[in-house]
Amino acid sequence: MGTIGVGNREMSDRIEEPQGARGRIRNAQDFWGGVVLIGLALIAFYASWDLPGMRGFSFGPGTTPRLFAGLLMLLGVVIAAIGLTTDGPAMPRFAIRGPLLVTSAILLFALMIRPLGLVVSSFLMFMFAASGSSETRWIETTFAAIALTAFCTILFVYMLGLPFQLWPRFTIGGTTIAF
Amino acid sequence: MFDLINNLALGFSVAFSAQNLFFCLVGALVGTLVGVLPGVGTVATIAMLLPITFGLPPVGALIMLAGIYYGAQYGGSTTSILVNIPGEATSVVTTLDGFQMAKQGRAGKALAMAAIGSFIAGCFATILVAALGAPLTSVALLFGPTEYFSLMVLGLIFAVVLAKGSVVKALAMIAFGLLLAVVGSDLETGAGRMTFDLPELADGIGFANVAMGVFGFAEIIRNLEGSSEDRQLVQGKITGLMPTWEDLKSCFGAIARGTGIGSLLGILPGGGAVIASFAAYTFEKKMSKDPSQFGRGAIQGVAAPESANNAAAQTSFIPLLTLGIPPNAVMALMVGAMTIHGIVPGPQVMTKQPDLFWGMIASMWLGNLMLVVINLPLVGIWVQLLRVPYRLMYPSILVFCCIGIYSINNSPWDVVMAGVFGLVGYWLIKHDFEPAPMLLGFVLGPLMEENLRRAMLISRGSAAVFFTRPISAVLLAISALLLIVAVLPMIRKRREEVFVEES
Repeated sequence: MGTIGVGNREMSDRIEEPQGARGRIRNAQDFWGGVVLIGLALIAFYASWDLPGMRGFSFGPGTTPRLFAGLLMLLGVVIAAIGLTTDGPAMPRFAIRGPLLVTSAILLFALMIRPLGLVVSSFLMFMFAASGSSETRWIETTFAAIALTAFCTILFVYMLGLPFQLWPRFTIGGTTIAF
Repeated sequence: MFDLINNLALGFSVAFSAQNLFFCLVGALVGTLVGVLPGVGTVATIAMLLPITFGLPPVGALIMLAGIYYGAQYGGSTTSILVNIPGEATSVVTTLDGFQMAKQGRAGKALAMAAIGSFIAGCFATILVAALGAPLTSVALLFGPTEYFSLMVLGLIFAVVLAKGSVVKALAMIAFGLLLAVVGSDLETGAGRMTFDLPELADGIGFANVAMGVFGFAEIIRNLEGSSEDRQLVQGKITGLMPTWEDLKSCFGAIARGTGIGSLLGILPGGGAVIASFAAYTFEKKMSKDPSQFGRGAIQGVAAPESANNAAAQTSFIPLLTLGIPPNAVMALMVGAMTIHGIVPGPQVMTKQPDLFWGMIASMWLGNLMLVVINLPLVGIWVQLLRVPYRLMYPSILVFCCIGIYSINNSPWDVVMAGVFGLVGYWLIKHDFEPAPMLLGFVLGPLMEENLRRAMLISRGSAAVFFTRPISAVLLAISALLLIVAVLPMIRKRREEVFVEES
């Protein structure tokens, strides 16, 4: 898996827009930032639409969400306007590898932690996350994974006494197999 | 005057008993550990350790709890500096310059300065608590909901002014943070707000999820973008573990001002310490001869907020011990601990149980000293940790953080939410928004709403009350002034500040 675009930082964030293109957004970074914020504010409005508002001078549950959403919308509009009227960086390039790797590693952990327990999940997550780096050396990584898992187990479970299920636990039919 | 010395002598004699010293040490150690670990928060720890303190004598138990509290504050700064993850809300500002210093190989200095600044602030604030406890509470009593709301507005404006980049974007981030804070259940009616009928959101979004995601995970995602030369972590270029005399001298003003701001703001129950750290940073930036250094590794940018939040942590005992009002959740647990041991905090504590009161005061100082003693030698170890190659470091951080977040509620959903915020943080970085103001808005959101509601109720719907009450009016005026001062250069010319990440 590689990143979109070049790894060199100087080139990736400054794409030259074609001169004289119609409807060219002068500051794409700010414009799209503002647009997304407006979108978030609209989602907030929609989500709090049916909450009752102010009754007399007492705040209802819906007052503050709408208030803050309105504030966000206003600022989003200002930022988008700045995006249209001033010059600035072009649309930033989003890498795929980083977000995908981190997100899937986290999802993996979240899925594994209940059925498989702390030790197995930590180890597998470590290995999975490390696999995304091109510099990984497997033997070193395996040792590191074991070391970290052991450390976390000792720290969180034995030293701090937090309740963790350490080992896998399966329920098949009515019977539970726990290690 | 003699009374004070006598009382302090009494307090120190109580605190310096071998047993209490031991409790203090244990508390400070556990607290530091808790503060360094992601997710495992101070509140949860104190709640867990509360039963252990049942068997201890009252003074000893409270001393241990106080040690944990300070330890956690300091531990939170450690992660802010080393891996850009704020352990506590009060450590968010430390990430700004502390992490930059770590990237430049000056992590040792940052860590040491945080400890030293905290200690000096703690010493001074302890004296303040001892001498001026009663009169200072009367200041706190002047603050009603209107004043609190205006103070928080001022605090948010501080966060805007300290932002390196565009003022509008910082304001937008604050609004975003406020909006995130609202997600959950309404306090009065229990109605779900913006929860999209998801039961997991009924309790709202936790601080750890947002902080971990937006700071920690986003940083990892960003670092995984390019090849290894691109990486922003400097490994192998560590220059000097301890700050030099030059460093100490240059931070003297920062520590002094931070202590002053923190001592004052800590007296106000609720949000005082967080605002204190932001305010001290902004103030320091304004007073500095070279403000462009802030956000790029200025050591004053670490010294000022750290002093402020430690001073605030000390003076927050004042409303607790004199009025019996806990300033935050942790202190509320302390009140619980006190009650269990048969001590009712309030004005009579000073007179009826002087050995307890003054023993606690002395133990605060002791706890600070203990932290310096424990942590300064540890700086070397922390710095060595930074030399671990990134290919092993980032999976470790990921695993560690996920376990920590999971431990809060034993809920996989919390972990997923932190991951989502990691993506959000990445988006913020890409569009050049700063996460620190967002976090401040997030932390202050519930308090602001509550105070706004109360103020409007008391004033019967009249918004003019914010301007007619003197303290509130002054605070709002300062906010407006600061905002104008910040926006003015932007109107005149476009502020082409070179953003640190792209240098």
